[in-house]
Amino acid sequence: MAKIKDFQCTYDNSAGISGEVTKDLGLTFPEAYLKWDTMAALSKALKEYDKAAFCELPFCHTVEAEAMGGIVNYGNEVAGPRAKEYICTAPEEILKLPAIDFSVGRIHQVLLACKALREAKEHVVLQVSGPFTILNVLIDAKHVFKAMRKNPELMKEVFWKLGGEILRFMEEGKKYGADLISYADSSGGVNILGPKMAEQVVEDFTYEFLKKAAELADDKTMILLCPKTTLALIGTGRARFRDLKLSGPMPYGEGCIEMVGKVKLAGQMCIKNVGYQLENGVFKEVVLQV
Amino acid sequence: MSSKEELLKRLSDGVVDMEEDDVAEAAREYLDAGYPAFDGIMEGLVDGMNRASELYEAEEYFVTDVLLCSDAMYAGLDILRPYLPETSSEEKVTGVIGVVEGDTHDIGKNLVKIMLETAGFNMIDLGRDVPLAKFVETAKEENADFVCLSTLMTTTMGGMETVIKLLDEAGLRDKVKVMIGGGPISQKYADRIGADGYSQNAVEAVKLAKRLLNIA
Repeated sequence: MAKIKDFQCTYDNSAGISGEVTKDLGLTFPEAYLKWDTMAALSKALKEYDKAAFCELPFCHTVEAEAMGGIVNYGNEVAGPRAKEYICTAPEEILKLPAIDFSVGRIHQVLLACKALREAKEHVVLQVSGPFTILNVLIDAKHVFKAMRKNPELMKEVFWKLGGEILRFMEEGKKYGADLISYADSSGGVNILGPKMAEQVVEDFTYEFLKKAAELADDKTMILLCPKTTLALIGTGRARFRDLKLSGPMPYGEGCIEMVGKVKLAGQMCIKNVGYQLENGVFKEVVLQV
Repeated sequence: MSSKEELLKRLSDGVVDMEEDDVAEAAREYLDAGYPAFDGIMEGLVDGMNRASELYEAEEYFVTDVLLCSDAMYAGLDILRPYLPETSSEEKVTGVIGVVEGDTHDIGKNLVKIMLETAGFNMIDLGRDVPLAKFVETAKEENADFVCLSTLMTTTMGGMETVIKLLDEAGLRDKVKVMIGGGPISQKYADRIGADGYSQNAVEAVKLAKRLLNIA
């Protein structure tokens, strides 16, 4: 069996949204989470506060699910948007959910915020969620885990339905100027799924999905992976690291920006770990096995 | 007809093997044969859940496995529980559990609840994204002995300290123990906010609850 290592998330690198960050912006919450101009202003303020090399969007992991019909509590200044009640009670119902319309709703506002920030010469990380994270908003995880054990073919279909939507979101993000598109699905990490199920997810979905996602990378866009995903790929023998020399030691975020156009997939560190330094000036590309 | 021992084994094995339908069928056969529901629960279903938690501790089972085992256990409980003799709920130690406001990650909380229920605690589950005052109101209404707070996010951790303050203001702090847990939580954090205990996982949570409440 594959040996997938876990990556321990750390949370203390970014200030997050707090009164200190937003005090001069005149924003009200949750309204600030809903419109492109306030999203962009908030994203830029966070970047400056954290001294990061890039702006991040969106501020939660509910955008994709909401665009598929999920119900979201927009929250307040302290706690951002999150799932409300579930709309599905069986994985089959996920298959019947509508395709995302990127021209309306909060997901459209996120794309417009990407565009505005890019036009203001900012580097933009568009954070895209994987299937487990999206499912978390739509259906109780117990139905997902049960189906993975009892009906893996059905779950494969569900993963690919969501995978199709995620790829389309990535494509849209690219059109609207995001130069770094990050893919994370920490709700489907090996610490939750266990090694057997985590391997099943890589084989049924993640590996083939990322082959398609990597095709979106070009001279202006790179795909970033959450290290949990990177380690799942490496642990199953579906990817390896390739070392590339940067112009010098620098923070990981700056390294990613320098490598846009040269690397399709990266993922040695969490992009939220804004203080992480590549001391030796070595950048690790994630190369998918052919 | 199967013997009592055979049926208890089927109940226990069904839980360990996550076979909800088998457990339900065995539970019905068990009742039809006239065996006492209490033994079916304790020596069948709870025995199976205890075996599952041992496998979890040994890292042979993972979170998803234990959740499915618990589904099988609850399928059996639904059938056996109505046949239990009436008992006073005062005999049971009561806990209130939930994920604090702002956070919807509830897998860990569910696991802790299952383990505590299996260990015999009467758990009142408030769910996820729970308004902070709700923990205090429920603890008061239910005369709870302890409150378990969970979160996976740093942005919502502060809510745990607020619950402790609210318990204090309501004059309940001396009566209600507070246990906390979740991804970013540590013993250090528990000490800082004045919680009575922190546990890293669901199995440890049971040990902690027993220790805090002086239960052997």
